[in-house]
Amino acid sequence: MSWKVIHRWLGLTVGTLAVVLGITGSVLAIDPVQQAWQAPAAPGDLPVATLVERVTRTVPGAEEIRHLPSGAIVVFSFAGDQPQAQYVDPADGRVLGAWQASALPRWVKNLHRSLLLGDAGRWGAASIALVMGVLCVSALVLLLRRMGGWRQLAARVRGSLAQRIHVVAGRVVLAVLCLTSLTALTMSASTLGLVELDTRAEPEVLSVLTGQPDLPGAQLAALQSLAVQDLRKLNFPGPTDPEDTWNVATAQGQGWIDRYSGQMLAWQDATLAQRVYDWAVVLHTGEASWPWAVVLGLVGASVLLFWLSGVVIWWQARSQAPHITGNSPLAQADVLIFVASEGGSTWGFAQTLQDALSQGGHRVYTSALENFETTAATRQVFVLAATYGEGQAPAHASRALEHIARLSASAVPVTVLGFGDRQFPAFCAFAVALDQTLRAQGWPALLPLECIHQQSGQQFALWGVALAQALGEPLVLEHVPRVPPTATLTLMARQDYPGVTGQATAILRFAWPAQGPGARLRGHGLARFAAGDLLGIVPPGSAVPRYYSLASGWEDGFVEICVRQMPGGLCSTHLLGLQMGDSITAFVRSNPGFALPRTRRPVLLIGAGTGVAPLAGFIRRNDRRRPMHLYFGGRDPARDFYFGPDIQRWLGEGRLATLETVFSRVPDGGGYVQDALRRDAERVRGLVAQGAIVRVCGSRAMAQGVAETLDMVLAPLQLSVSTLKAKERYAEDVF
Amino acid sequence: MSKPLLTILATACALALPALAHSRPLTLTAQLKNYGGDGAYLAAYLTDAKGAYVRTLWVAGGKAKYHKHLSDWSRLSAGDAKRLDGVTGASVGAGRTLKVTADLADALIDAGYEIRIDAAVEDMRDSPSEVRIPLSKANVGKPQAGKQYIQSVTFQLQ
Repeated sequence: MSWKVIHRWLGLTVGTLAVVLGITGSVLAIDPVQQAWQAPAAPGDLPVATLVERVTRTVPGAEEIRHLPSGAIVVFSFAGDQPQAQYVDPADGRVLGAWQASALPRWVKNLHRSLLLGDAGRWGAASIALVMGVLCVSALVLLLRRMGGWRQLAARVRGSLAQRIHVVAGRVVLAVLCLTSLTALTMSASTLGLVELDTRAEPEVLSVLTGQPDLPGAQLAALQSLAVQDLRKLNFPGPTDPEDTWNVATAQGQGWIDRYSGQMLAWQDATLAQRVYDWAVVLHTGEASWPWAVVLGLVGASVLLFWLSGVVIWWQARSQAPHITGNSPLAQADVLIFVASEGGSTWGFAQTLQDALSQGGHRVYTSALENFETTAATRQVFVLAATYGEGQAPAHASRALEHIARLSASAVPVTVLGFGDRQFPAFCAFAVALDQTLRAQGWPALLPLECIHQQSGQQFALWGVALAQALGEPLVLEHVPRVPPTATLTLMARQDYPGVTGQATAILRFAWPAQGPGARLRGHGLARFAAGDLLGIVPPGSAVPRYYSLASGWEDGFVEICVRQMPGGLCSTHLLGLQMGDSITAFVRSNPGFALPRTRRPVLLIGAGTGVAPLAGFIRRNDRRRPMHLYFGGRDPARDFYFGPDIQRWLGEGRLATLETVFSRVPDGGGYVQDALRRDAERVRGLVAQGAIVRVCGSRAMAQGVAETLDMVLAPLQLSVSTLKAKERYAEDVF
Repeated sequence: MSKPLLTILATACALALPALAHSRPLTLTAQLKNYGGDGAYLAAYLTDAKGAYVRTLWVAGGKAKYHKHLSDWSRLSAGDAKRLDGVTGASVGAGRTLKVTADLADALIDAGYEIRIDAAVEDMRDSPSEVRIPLSKANVGKPQAGKQYIQSVTFQLQ
């Protein structure tokens, strides 16, 4: 079971009870805070003997002095028959008022530690604490995974509002929550008798009658040398029992003092278990320090926040998860479909295939690729595999290839259909690897490997035609891709550039509609975004979204993209034809690898053409004035220096440290951006040696040229683009 | 139960009766005050004329961790490894009544022995020797108040 599954299900089930413990714990934290204001703390270096002297003067018949964890002094006595407990001012022994262990009703504490169910409830509460500990550990693992390691822990959190609440709050309180469950378990272990704090019997000691009167407490050497800060409690010898002794308890142990001679008759050091337990109590209850109690109170309340946001996250994931309808049981299915999908879109194709085959009378079972297997009933297997990044398997199917390589082949044909993007060099690399492995194992195929480019519904339909022929059945694959929830954006400004070779370009700025917190919590409407994230736009007449890099962040208050007219481009034509006030439907897809980490390190931004858009977004939000250096490559400063005036202004404001521009189509323009990098080799090396982070945005050819140039430039540093990429210091956004 | 078994039981009881002739059951009833706290831990025990521990009659409250708060009993009975054998029960809630019975040898009555009860409540102060009642015929049925937690204690002898 994965950490995610453990975290989710424990959180959703036992987490409900943990909320009860969190809230009651939060209420219990009121006590230490309130008590801190009721009486002054005793000065730590006050000798206990002096305190005894003061107390005996003001409280006749004092039986016990307690030094509370808060530092206050409480004296127990009897006024006639009435037992009394009073705060005493340690400075003069003055009685300040009555003391109560707690101002809260008792059921709060009992609900907290035993769910009002007695001993069985204590086991229950301890189990909840244990689960809370597991939740904390799994949360840490998931947090590190999500943020990309310890060093990225403080980075910006992406996702829906609920996800951000969950992660940001988790980042802050995780350690305290973990400590709280650990201390709860420590306390439970002794209460439930799993650990004995002290098995020793108390020593049998008696004061030795000498005929002399009691030695006053102030004259007891043991109490003179004991500071109040170490005192827990001091019991006076009983007036009716001449053999009774003083009994003093400190953080270090317990001692018995002869009432006549003042001698320490016996001393027992506190056991290690007892000390650990004492610490656990202090840390768990906050009784020794009201600021810590405040922290604990907030952390207790945060459990509710985690539970609520966790439920919302689970609900969102459930509604967005691949949801295959009409699955037949595996054992009866004659057609099996296995899916490897990164963003989830491949599941949509699988559903289309499943529906079409089911309509043709097949019993179809669809599952994730890591579950690859065949049964006696299987006649056909289809593998629909997307490729992630530079040719890797999608995360959920990362072990699928090894798994399949271990299986022995059967006579059932296994057909692979790849999904990818031709712009990437490793187009459908994972599907290719799968197909090779299957063939090497000896699995036959119904159809040769086919790779679908950019989720093309047309290409998928064509493959369907080939499939229908191979199966000898009528089969039509009509795929309608699923698009995430979209928001309607309205054009509020546009800035047109003539572009080069007749390709008009515009920077389009959109406003998004006001959306209530409810919609945002559920992840509806426009998700929070930052410069460098992608805006998915579904143009009219197409079901497939096109992606543009965002030149603005949520804080900017607008959505900005830079659009260049593509020859015959459906989406770019639509966008460039927009008038002021026209609207589009769009959604945000995060591009976490490209976002800038929050550090003070220098940033080297390299962009060409419209690729400057996300870089401009970085510079615009550079409020902390970290050193950003921009290399911009265009063709003609008069035609395609996008964001030109803005960039100049940001340079003046210090948001941009340096600017280097090159234009390839004008005389003495400086050539391409990689030429500028080569000329500035010394400076670029210096920046990288300082730990600079590099972001490259532009065409694939440009990104490749830049990478080759930088490899050369950085060779003297024993660095390369791939080593920088491995350290997450180098990222590209290419189109 | 089968008939032979019943017969055996009856015979066993009949044989045991003469032994009981030298002892008598003592019933101790303690009514607790409404002291406004969790269930009280109580230890009822017997001390001799010199104040030395004789035996434990009853301990209410099962968590050994808290037994040291019944401080007199805990100290005096430390040498008695069997002090908890068969004489423990649940703690007694505020306002509730504890009623326990024990067999006492006749020789203990009117011989300077004393019934003592220690009491302790969580977060409240310990009350060693909450009540001390001399074990005499004169005290039978005579209610006695405790210091902090016990409204009244009486004992009966049969």
